[in-house]
Amino acid sequence: MVMDLKQKNAGTSIYVPEIATITKIEQMSETEKLFEIKIDSDEARKEFDFLPGQFVELTVFGLGEAPFSIPSSPNNKESFQLCIRDAGNVSGALHRMQAGDRIGIRGPYGNGYFPFDRMRGKDVIIVAGGLGLAPVMSLIHTILENRENYKRLVIIYGSVDPANILFKEEIESWKKRDDIELRLTVDNSDGEWQGEVGVVTNLIPGINCGSDAYAVVCGPPVMYKFVVAEFEKKSIKPENIFLSLERRMECGVGKCNHCHVGNKLSCIDGPVFSLWEIRNLKEAI
Amino acid sequence: MLYKVIDKSTYQDFIKSLISDYALIGPKKKDKAIHDFVPIKDFSELDTDYKKTTLPPAKKVLFPPNEELVKYELGDSVAIEPVIEAEEKILFGINAWDINGMNFLDRIFKTDFVDENYMAKREKIIVIGMDSEPSETNFALSMNTEYAEEGFDLYMTELADKYFIRVATAKGNELLDKYTDAKEAGEGDFKEYDKYLDEYRKKFSTDVKMKNFYDNFESVYDKDEFWAKIAKNCYSCGSCNLVCPTCFCFNVKDDMALDLKNGKKTREWDSCMIADYGLVAGDHNFRPNKENRLKQRYRCKLKTFKEKFDTYSCVGCGRCIDTCLAKINIAEDIDSVKKEVSI
Repeated sequence: MVMDLKQKNAGTSIYVPEIATITKIEQMSETEKLFEIKIDSDEARKEFDFLPGQFVELTVFGLGEAPFSIPSSPNNKESFQLCIRDAGNVSGALHRMQAGDRIGIRGPYGNGYFPFDRMRGKDVIIVAGGLGLAPVMSLIHTILENRENYKRLVIIYGSVDPANILFKEEIESWKKRDDIELRLTVDNSDGEWQGEVGVVTNLIPGINCGSDAYAVVCGPPVMYKFVVAEFEKKSIKPENIFLSLERRMECGVGKCNHCHVGNKLSCIDGPVFSLWEIRNLKEAI
Repeated sequence: MLYKVIDKSTYQDFIKSLISDYALIGPKKKDKAIHDFVPIKDFSELDTDYKKTTLPPAKKVLFPPNEELVKYELGDSVAIEPVIEAEEKILFGINAWDINGMNFLDRIFKTDFVDENYMAKREKIIVIGMDSEPSETNFALSMNTEYAEEGFDLYMTELADKYFIRVATAKGNELLDKYTDAKEAGEGDFKEYDKYLDEYRKKFSTDVKMKNFYDNFESVYDKDEFWAKIAKNCYSCGSCNLVCPTCFCFNVKDDMALDLKNGKKTREWDSCMIADYGLVAGDHNFRPNKENRLKQRYRCKLKTFKEKFDTYSCVGCGRCIDTCLAKINIAEDIDSVKKEVSI
């Protein structure tokens, strides 16, 4: 997964963000909000091209910076979205902000992306847990925009409870389509829940897919090992299994070394890796 | 590379001229045991006869513990600009392994995304290298860093009655031409220099066997008992990171002035040995215990950059060994890995 890294010109600093404006905020669940963000400068906005799985470094001025994967479609050139949980300093401050407030954006970053190009003509299985749906949303958008290029599309999404299901609007529209095999599960039912109860791994054995299928997993760290084991039982090749690895990133551009996973850096070598790439990387999953 | 010699009797005048015309940072004796690289105002302050400095000189100058990267002013919009501070300085008396450590930092900061905050400083600095006596814990010879092939403008080697000078840049040559009557080195000078190098290399007493480590490390990686023994006394204090010439992990933080209008982004050194280094959202820690962290440090020093840059990111200076309160010794641990696999 190598593409050209953007280099800034001399005299500038890779740590200077573009100024951007929050144009819309939508409460998605008790703890998550969806932010729509527009980069102020016309020129920078035009240059802002991203691939599914890439991320941005977001600055709340005076407070700090944090990385977030982009859930919206790469084809939306005017603005992009970020789905953010109120979990830390920066995300907490974001949750107190309002439409019209200014933030800083660096990126998009990441060399590893979900290989929507290589998935063409193949079955695609996407397994997401909780907030892990956000990074794969942009892949799902990309596939759905060119649905005819792909074979079977399976989306398995697990959530703590029905109230915490994210991107409900999109999920409702997926339910109506016959070209998406959607499986939803929750850890705790609320009594009205009609779907499955339990972990996402329970739903993988029931899937039919070719051995040349592509599989994607994104979710809390504890999930990966178990999901990958299920994929392997399906004989999906390790080079066709893709994982987005979350690590603490400070710079996003391969300098601060914070996000190392064995000998790789999540920011510039990832954040999306094939299982093959990280097979012998200890502490990867 | 040009090779020149100056007469020893002209050395003092050369350095005095540099001190009068440039900001010069060089080794100074701070007390009985400690040397440090500090701004030198007078020739008498300079003491190149040192074995080790607590902090690596190049890192101290180019990648300070706290460094402002970006400043901004909040208003109707946000005015934002980089803080690129670079002033011409001479870094004098830095030894070969510390130059090699600097060369490693250079590669980190200029590969892929170019870090102008670092590189602007680097490009302005004039490096004049000089050998120093290796300490007992120094294993630079095993790491091939006892000799610097690049990264300096001038490298001065003290011979019996002269300095043998390797001239690597036009800037270095200009300084020599301006302040000395340097002559081109002749056959006899090279002969003397060759002999010197052979003798110099004999001074390194600690030998570390890096052969096979690359694979052996993976073989012992999951042996918990082995690592428990090695990391037993680690306090997770991060001293080893602070004194390391190649450790470059940092945090970026935002700060606001009291007027709530002016703010800045600053980077500050971080340490992979500290517990919350690997902490991510949801309180998941990828390296929750000190064994994990020490193993990762060794991987980073001895394997990671073999793959990326074909070099170790350990120059064998021995600072971490001297600094560690728990007496953790990377040189001994490399040998322990070998023993664990071979017996």
